[in-house]
Formats: sequence, C-alpha cells, structure tokens
Amino acid sequence: MRQRLLERRGILIGAAVIVLLALFPLSGAQSWIVNIGIFTLMYAALGSAWNLIGGYTGYVSLGSVAFFGLGAYSLALTFQHVGVGDGFLPFALVPVIGIAVALISLPLGFIAFRTRGLPFIIVTISLVIILQYCALNLTAVTGGAPGLQVPQAPFPPGTYEEYFYWAMLTVFAVTLLACAYVKRSRLGLMMFAVREDEDKARGLGVATAVPKFAAFAGSAAFSAMAGAVWAYYLTTVYPQFAFDGEFLAMGIILVAYLGGIGTLWGPFVGALILTPAQQYFAYSLGGNQFYLVAYAAVFVAVMLFLPRGVVTTIGDRALRRHRRRISALEENGRQAEAVGDVAATG
Amino acid sequence: MLTRTPLVRTTLLAALVVGMAACGTPAPTGSGGGSSSPLTVGISVSLTGDFSNTGKAAQLGYQLWADQVNAKGGILGRKVQLSFADDASSPTQVVTNYQNFITRDKVDLVFGPYSSLLTLAAAKVANRYGYSFVEGAGNGPSVFAAHLPNLIDAGPATAINGAQVWGDYILSLPQSQRPKTAAYPSLDDPFSAPTADALQKRFEAAGIQTVYSATYPAETTSLGGVIAKVASTNPDMVVSGSQDADGWAQVQAMIQQKFNPRFLFMTNGPENPVDFPKNVGLPNTEGVFTSDVWTYSAPIPGNQAFVKAYLAKYGGAPGDIDSTSAETYAVGQLIEAVAAKTGKIDNQTIISTLHQGSYQTVVGEISVDQYGAPKGTQFLEEWIGGKLTIVYPGNIAEHAPVVPKPTWP
Amino acid sequence: MHLLIQAIILGVLTGGLYALMTSGLTLTFGTMRIINMAQGVFVVVGAYIAFTLFNYLHIDPFLSILISTPLMFGLGVTLQTFLLRPIRYDAHRLSLLMTWAMAIGIEGILSIFYGTDFRGIITSYQNTSVTVLGYQFPLVRVLAFALSVAVLIGMWLLLSRTKFGRAVRAVSQRESAAKLLGVNTDRTAALAFGVGAATAGAAGAMFGLVSSFDPASHYDLIGRLLAICVLGGLGSNAGAITGAVLLALSESLVQAEFSPAWSSLPFYILLVIVLIARPQGLFGVRSRGAI
Repeated sequence: MRQRLLERRGILIGAAVIVLLALFPLSGAQSWIVNIGIFTLMYAALGSAWNLIGGYTGYVSLGSVAFFGLGAYSLALTFQHVGVGDGFLPFALVPVIGIAVALISLPLGFIAFRTRGLPFIIVTISLVIILQYCALNLTAVTGGAPGLQVPQAPFPPGTYEEYFYWAMLTVFAVTLLACAYVKRSRLGLMMFAVREDEDKARGLGVATAVPKFAAFAGSAAFSAMAGAVWAYYLTTVYPQFAFDGEFLAMGIILVAYLGGIGTLWGPFVGALILTPAQQYFAYSLGGNQFYLVAYAAVFVAVMLFLPRGVVTTIGDRALRRHRRRISALEENGRQAEAVGDVAATG
Repeated sequence: MLTRTPLVRTTLLAALVVGMAACGTPAPTGSGGGSSSPLTVGISVSLTGDFSNTGKAAQLGYQLWADQVNAKGGILGRKVQLSFADDASSPTQVVTNYQNFITRDKVDLVFGPYSSLLTLAAAKVANRYGYSFVEGAGNGPSVFAAHLPNLIDAGPATAINGAQVWGDYILSLPQSQRPKTAAYPSLDDPFSAPTADALQKRFEAAGIQTVYSATYPAETTSLGGVIAKVASTNPDMVVSGSQDADGWAQVQAMIQQKFNPRFLFMTNGPENPVDFPKNVGLPNTEGVFTSDVWTYSAPIPGNQAFVKAYLAKYGGAPGDIDSTSAETYAVGQLIEAVAAKTGKIDNQTIISTLHQGSYQTVVGEISVDQYGAPKGTQFLEEWIGGKLTIVYPGNIAEHAPVVPKPTWP
Repeated sequence: MHLLIQAIILGVLTGGLYALMTSGLTLTFGTMRIINMAQGVFVVVGAYIAFTLFNYLHIDPFLSILISTPLMFGLGVTLQTFLLRPIRYDAHRLSLLMTWAMAIGIEGILSIFYGTDFRGIITSYQNTSVTVLGYQFPLVRVLAFALSVAVLIGMWLLLSRTKFGRAVRAVSQRESAAKLLGVNTDRTAALAFGVGAATAGAAGAMFGLVSSFDPASHYDLIGRLLAICVLGGLGSNAGAITGAVLLALSESLVQAEFSPAWSSLPFYILLVIVLIARPQGLFGVRSRGAI
C-alpha cells in the first residue's frame, strides 16, 4: 500500500518535471538558452539510453554513438531519397527510425555479446569505427566524406529552436519512461541479475539473453531517435560527427557517471550540470586552448571525488542521516521505555 | 530506494535552479547599432580537436585586420570588436557558438568558422537570423550546393576551380610535351577528392589516360601502399588531391620508393613555404607543383603592406605566414569594402553588395555567384631553386615552369 | 607480383611499430585489468619529446629514446599513482573514463605548448631507402622495425627473467593469490603502467620518424591499438604482435592491390569473424568469468 503510494508519487514528480521542462521555452527563454536546452536534453536522453545497457545490465557500451549515427543518417537518407516534406513531418519519422535501428542492433548485439567486460567495451568501440568507415566509403548511399545535407525546417526564427527542444524532450521522456518501467518490472530484475553475476543468474535459470538484448536494442532505439532529431536540427550529417567515437561517446558515459549510473534520474542530473557548463565554457573561454584541459579536469574530478554520481552520493548521505535519526529515535524510545519501567517499578 | 525519491527531487530542483541560473545570467546588451558603438563581430574557430591546425592562424589574420581598421578610426567611425569562441572541432558546439553570438550577445556581424566541415551548420544558423556569413574556409562543392543566400566565400576560387589552373597549364602544352598517363591518389574529404576528380575528367576528355585513381581515408598514416601501386603503373603525371600531412607522406613515400613522375601536382601541401620543405627536405621540393590563392610574394595589390604589417605585429619571417591568415584578413577587407561602397554596415547590405561586383583583397580579386561561390581561379606555383615560385598564368609568373620534374636528389 | 611483395614488405615493417605501441596496452591490461585509452597520447608525447630533443639539442631519435623512455616511465608511474590507484576498487569501469581524461588533458597541454600544427622529425636519412632485389626498404621504417623488435624482446626478457616480471605474471594470473604470496600489487601496477608508457615513448620516437603528427593524432592511434588488442586477445603479447602485423599487412595489401579507401575493412571483417568464432581473441585464454 505504502509502496504503491510512493510509486505514484514518483510518477507524479516525474511528470511534473517533464511538464516544467516542456513549459521552459515558453517562459521567455531566449533562443540561445533553448539551444543549450536541446543539447542538454540530448545528452540526458543519450545518457539514459546508455544507462539501460551500461547501468542496468553492467555492460559498458561505447556503441550508443553507433546507433546515434545510424539514426542521424537514417533521417538524412530518408530526406534524400523519399522526401518526407518539411516542417513537422520529419518528427513523425523519429519513432520509426528508433524501431528500425533497434532491429538493426539485434544482429550487432549478437556479435558484441560474444564478449563481456573489457573486450565488450572495445568491441563496441570497433562497431563505431566500422560504421564510420562505411559512412565514409559507401559514397553512393551516404555521400561519403562531403556528408549529407538536410533541408532547414521552415520554422520562424525565435521559435525555431522550440520545436526541436520539444522533440528532444519527447525522446528523453520516452527514454525515461522506458527506464522507469524496466526498473520496476521483471525484465529489470533480470538485468540487475546479469549485472551482479551473469553466470550465477544463468545457473539459476534466468534467460540472460532476454535482458541483455532488450537493453541493447532499447538503448539503440532511444539513441537513434536522439540522433535523428539532432540531424534535423543541425541539418548537416558528416561521418566523423555522426559516428563520433570520441567526445560524444565519452561525454555520454561521463554524464551518466556524474549523475549516478543505474539511477533513474542520474543521467538527467549529469546532463543538466555538465552540458550547459561545457557548451558555455567552450564559448566563453574566449578561444584559447585551455578548454580541453578544463574538460579533462572535470572528468578527473568526477572520477576521484564523485565516482558514484551526484544522485547516488546525495541519496546515500541522506539515507545515512535518515538511519541515524531513526536509530536516535529508537534510542530515545528505549530510554523513555526504560524510564517508564523504572517509574513503574519505583 | 523508497527513501531516495524525495532526495532525487531535491537534487533535481537544485540542479534545475543551478542550471537555469547559469544560463540565465543577463546577457550584455547588444550594441544598438548607433554610429559610435563598437562594431561587434563573433567568430568561432577550432582551437582544440581534430581541425585545430588552422584555427590559430585564422585568429591572427582577423586580429591584424581589426587592429589596422581600428588604428584608422574603425569602420564608419565604429571600432571593430572581435570575439572568438572555441568550437572544439564539434558541430554541436559551433551551432551553440553562433546561437550565442547572435541571440545572446547580439553581435553585429558573424564571420565563418575555421573548420571547413563546420561551415554549413554554422552558416544555416546565421541564415535563420538574416546574418551575412562571410567565410574563408569552406570552398568545397557541398558548401555551395546548399544554396544559402547569406554565404559568401572570401577566397578568390572554389576548391575545384582553383586547381583548374593546373589543367589550363597542362593543356596549354603542345600535344607532344603533355603527359600521356596520369594517376590521381587523393584524400577522402569534401575538398580534395572532388578537386582531383574534376581534373581527372578534364584530362581524360583531353586524351590523357588514367592509370590509377583512388581516395584514401583521412586516418591513413602510411601511404606506402598507395604509392607502391601508383609507382607500379608508372604514370607520366601524378595529380595528388592532398591536404597537408598526407601530401608530405606521399612525397616521402615516392622518394623512398624511388618513383619520380615527370609531372607532380598536389592540390595542397607544397603551398606551405615552411612546413613543406621542413617535412620532405628542401632538395626534394624541386619541381613540385601546387596551386594557391596567396603567397607572401604574390603581386597582389596591398599584399606587401599586409606582409609588412603582419611581421611588425607578430614577428617571424615572411615565409612563416600561413595563407589562412591572409584569407581571414581578406574577409575583413570585404567588410571594409562594403562600408566604403555603400556608407552602411549591416547584414542585408553586406549580402546584397558582395553578391555584385568584385573586390580587391590581399588574396586577389573576389567576386561571387548567387550562392557565394567565388568565380576566380588560383595561380600555379612550382618549387624552383628551393623557392616557391609563381609560374602560371604568364601575366603574373615570376619564372617559366620547369618541366619535367628533376629526379629526387 | 612485384607490387604484392613490396606491399608485404611495407606492411610488415609498419606492423612491427604497431606491435610495440600495443605491447604497453597489453601489459597494463594484463596487470591492472584496465583499458588504457591514454596509450595513443603516450605515443604522441613520445614523438614530441623526440621532436624537441632532435630540433633543439640535435639528438638523433634513436639515441634520444634513452632520455625519453625514463621520462615516460616516470610520467606513467606518476599518473598511475595519483589518478588510477584511487579508483582501483572499480578500475574495470572507472579507468576507461580516467585514462580517457588523461588522454584529452595531455592533448590539451601539448597543444598549448606546441600548437596544433603538424610536426615531423626530419633526419638526414629520412628518405633514404635500401634497394634489395628491386624492392625498396625505406631506411627509417627498417630501423623503426628493428628497434621495435629489440624493445619487444627486451620486454619479453623483463617479463620472463626478472622479479618484476614474475610479479606481473602473478598479478595478471590471480591478483588475490599474488597478494598472499607477498607481491606488492600496487607497486607492480604502477611499475607496469610506467613500463607501458615507456614503451609508448620509444614507439612515439619511431612514430614521429615515419609520419607527421599533431596533438590530436592520438584519436586515430588508440582506435587501431584497441582493435589490434581485441583481435589478438587482450593481455596476450603474441596476440598483440600478430594483430599488429595483420592490421598493417592487410592495410598495405588492400591499399596497393585494391583501394586505399577500404584499406582497414578486411581487418575489421576479420575482427568480427574472430569475435564470433573465438570471442577471447586469437591468442586470448578464456580463464576467468570476469573477462
């Protein structure tokens, strides 16, 4: 009963946050802030999608970027070959791209899941490199190095960013919802079992392939959706940016770590702290080369001092305080009882 | 888990507040456009990451221009104020930077970024807000294929047209002296490969047989295999669609494999008067051709003054000046020309003015078509006697072309 | 046929250098169970040290490695002690980000000091090549190959004949048991990371001799090195050498015989096939559940 009440409260709070976020562009925020909002939500969505595989099943994947890139290219290619109109229509394509990329991810997952642990990480890096290779060299399809151009949406300036913001918010909200659902479901339990000890889980009769592939495909779908919106917003898709196995790949994981891997809201919190700061500093440090060093310093600081993430760390600290308070109360109670006993006997 | 929920909320709220506060700091009020207020210009350059090679040189050229203009009292009485941002070679960051310049800081003008692949994403942001977009880095075909009304390339030639000077020269030779066979190894990027391609088509039409044509990816660290293959086909002429380091690697591999074509033309690489001889060895530069828009000795009006001012400000030798600095300087000169011609300086005037007529800059006469593609061509240079020398077209040539290429020493 | 053999010669010579670069990665994986994303940038640092010593003090790169390898060893030990030791409780995952942070941080520092222009170490014998039976052997590549082989043999001796080597092997086989036997695992890890960085320093000097580099060169390098490791089997030296030669050879052959655009693809196809058929890599052993 109490559990259900709390669960409902969690849903309400989550919904309230999403609504607040949705109202944000209408609060008179200028275009440049909404622009940063788009990238923040993109990292939040990508971080949450990564969390599904990296946080829940413990399979650290750098492959999110591969699916992000596939999503971006899918959108650009559809524009090129089919013509989806402009304006809002391309947004309708985003969920379709998500499903398509999820299907593509299954055979790739089959190869990747031949390995575990560190080799799995490297295999997923290789996946990004191979896809970038294909994007560069399958010139007839992908346009090769000159990339693909997406026509600019005919939204008026001033509100232009808002539509992309809401599209990215939707991708994030869907990702979050999926994570929340998975966390509370049997599937989630299976994922956690894989994370704790895959061999033991299998020994106990858990069909470990199910949670692994579900997490992999789900992660792929949400990453691809973020990639599609990104491509439409930027209007240019180049192999080295769509399949960026370096900054984007590591940025996603950093966001998840900073917030707290395995927690529902961690990647969002991480993105909220990191993305605006990163975007803002690269802009305002006035064009000197210290940006890279500063970015590295943030990484190091997070790893050394906050390796379990903001959400987890604050949560634990509060939990300890809570426990202390309870034990203090119990202690008081016991003393009171004792006093009462004494009084009664006395 | 249960106890954590309200805490998550607190964290969230705190983070939201912090995030919004960080974003919501009041922006400095944009210059209203009054005649005495400074003319603010926003420029994103790649100072870190994959494309950071030319970012610094771009900054030097822009800054030199601004200092000179300000010493003369500014543009129409307004001091020029440049602000630079690092885009870390990332398209996401470049969009943010131009968004911030335009909608946060409300700069008067923006100039193009100094990474070619970032040009389009940035130009489209500027276009959305009706900003002109004068740039010096993106001159590949895909940039102009986007048909942007606000984009103006400040180079005198597109990548493809620029290198046509090599075609002009070869086809000006009598049939008997022309190469019979040619090889085209080129870098797979939006500029080099299309350029080599265009030359290949032209030469094929003129009856020069193609014996090898292939692109190699940017991350190819060793070009030994490519050159081994080129050497095995033994072409009279090699047309390299090279960029910089890969061009040096090609030359090194040719020397190491003792392969000496009669004609060697490289789209990029040898035009750098410092790095090229440093990396392939000065004696080995002899007889290598390239095309360029600018060199410190080019007989272009105003060029000597530019070189002098550059050296006075930054020091060094004339040969140290990167042509990127001259190109960015030319971007500024175009803006100056618009002000001089119209007496106004706003984005609409810049767009409409620069699309007509031609303008003299340190990189030559600039005139562009409706999509900002420059109509001019480059000049042909050859390394002769250890010096980069203009050899074609004849009216500006410092020396006649020396062919065939001498064997590697 | 001539072309084929020429391509094989060039491929094998390049492969030796890749093997040296990868050996450090293998060593740190073996002893610390971490993927060192900074191995590429260590190579680049090695190249810059050799570049500096050559340009300012005119010390030949083959001599300057006597200076650069101890420096790199010190850098490696320092970084391990201050940045990796504190996170060893979850090294498996945290080290990925930590070593990545080292990589971009060092890249940033290099670009502040050296700028971002391409550099090259241009010696007098830069373009010399030896002709044997009509085939060209570029001297720098032959020398770089010879040095790589020498360092690899040295590494092998270090690991098989010394106390440090025994400790490394003990730790890589079973860390808890090694601890019980009195091996100082922290010290072994720091030394191993230092040795890994030192080999990268030597490899970097050679890398600077055979190709141009800038601070951002490490991105391309690390991708290749990781792929070589997985193909050969993580932690296996024989695997690293085989993987490196296979990569360089296939690149060189495809470049020459087919198309340079697809030069790395056969390697990656091979990688996928190996992963499906033998996930632990060509020489990897599937001992622990943890891998």
